[in-house]
Amino acid sequence: MSPGALVVVETHGGRVAASSLEAAGVAARLADPAGGVTAVATDAAPEVVATLGGVGVAKLFSLADARLAAAPVAALAAGVLAAAERSGADTIVLGGTAFGRDLAGRLAARWNAAVATGVTEVHRTASGLEVKRPVFGGRATETRRLDGPRAVLTIRPHAFTAPSGAPTPPTVETLASPEVPAAVLAPRRVAVEATATGTGPSLGDAAIVVSGGRGVRTPENFRLVEELAAALGAAVGASRAVTDAGWRPTSFQVGQTGKSVSPQLYVAVGISGAIQHLVGMVSSRTIVAINSDASAPIFKVADYGIVGDLFQIVPALTAEVRRARAH
Amino acid sequence: MEIVVCIKPVPEAETRLRPTADGTRADPDGVKFVLAGYDESSVEQALLLKEAVPASKVHAVAVGPAPRSEEVLRAAIALGCDSATWVDATADTADDGLSAARALAPALAGLPHDLVLAGKQAGDRESGVFAAALGELLGVPDFGFVTDLRWEPAAARFTFRRATEGGVERWESPVPCVIALQQAWNDPRTAKLPMILKSRKAPIAKVAAAPAAGPSIPVKFELPPPRSGAKMIEYKTPEEAAQTLVRLLKEEAKVFP
Repeated sequence: MSPGALVVVETHGGRVAASSLEAAGVAARLADPAGGVTAVATDAAPEVVATLGGVGVAKLFSLADARLAAAPVAALAAGVLAAAERSGADTIVLGGTAFGRDLAGRLAARWNAAVATGVTEVHRTASGLEVKRPVFGGRATETRRLDGPRAVLTIRPHAFTAPSGAPTPPTVETLASPEVPAAVLAPRRVAVEATATGTGPSLGDAAIVVSGGRGVRTPENFRLVEELAAALGAAVGASRAVTDAGWRPTSFQVGQTGKSVSPQLYVAVGISGAIQHLVGMVSSRTIVAINSDASAPIFKVADYGIVGDLFQIVPALTAEVRRARAH
Repeated sequence: MEIVVCIKPVPEAETRLRPTADGTRADPDGVKFVLAGYDESSVEQALLLKEAVPASKVHAVAVGPAPRSEEVLRAAIALGCDSATWVDATADTADDGLSAARALAPALAGLPHDLVLAGKQAGDRESGVFAAALGELLGVPDFGFVTDLRWEPAAARFTFRRATEGGVERWESPVPCVIALQQAWNDPRTAKLPMILKSRKAPIAKVAAAPAAGPSIPVKFELPPPRSGAKMIEYKTPEEAAQTLVRLLKEEAKVFP
């Protein structure tokens, strides 16, 4: 059988997560044309099917099982592997999200597959797959061989682009409800609260992140950071100094003990650049630093630096961004 | 409550990384391996639960080579863990989260465990697959990216939050379960001298891992070319600085939205 690739689709409120579309792009590169790209989702609403057709998915396995709605991610493993067996896929690709990461480890253990997470490059070799991924908070990269007949991958957010083309709706096949052990179905999700990063995109997922640090001086001044983020359509982050001081919740923290982010653009406002912070953002594609201290370590990792008073620079930048985006 | 906390020694944060002579891995020679980052806060979480739930025990486990595995287990004992098991395995086995889970699972089968705690990921390879793989091998549910873990004795269950792309989820789970913690919302304690001295003589159970070829094989370890330093924007007014930066982001970096 020609090796195909299976995408595990993450949906939120009937919408396909951007990370799953990126995963479809990777699956298309890995799949033998005859094997094709298949997908599995717990939501096969018409919009989901149409979106997946637009990124080259030829067949969608629907795992619409009411028991799975508020169950742990682990409960999906059996259904995903049933889809993999049905489709003949030798590779399962997931987005680089909490959902993807949690499922990847379980699938790999159950499917007896090699696994790699957060990959930024992948290609087939004679013996399997070869992947590249950042390690040590982006301070280094590693290349690994995933030998053997099966592999599970999660991809790093923004490392791959979603394919586009003339949408062809995939065929949909509904899978029988898989057997899930009672122990795995016992925990329940009792509520989902609004995302902790406010109204903007979530920190781990955002293409642009604007973070504020100690240089912002007061919790009230932090709105300057938030206004710049809003103008750019960015997520808001913070250094540990800010979250330790209680100016913003710890869910905003970027760094070694917070979130690691790798957006297209990272803007550091009033952040000196302690190693603790750098390991969480140094793999961002383009880094801008705004700081009053020309010797701040943040300028060593930044691509563009502005030395100056952030209370003057940031409002001017917000206004300029708004002007430029209005055109 | 029987709590197992899984830890992995990692190079201390200030380590100057370099590849081995054959270029395949991070060179461990001369590197100080420590209990750090996520693991420090999961040990703290285990100890907080032990203090909150009467008659609890915390058992620390590590998979990996000597002497670093034994050293971090002693550090965990010095912090207040009651006992420790070292699964003697190669660094390659420890570095592959799935292999590490396979090496550890048989040892856990013989240890009582209501809760197995781990960090979201180790600070070196940052794979984050260990806890989910272990959950599968033990046949129990697992949860990653967990914060605000609490025990409700009346209902005999844990409650916790998970920060995901879909929002912040609130969960309830009976035991046993595997939980990988998101971040240090706690303030890890430091070990006191009498405990450090005691930990040096504490017995550590040693288990030999079955030798297994890792399913993922390191091929190359590379450091990025050093960043040349920022292009500093010269300006006379804040407006000029803003205009120059937006132009560079548009035309040069091509990342302007």
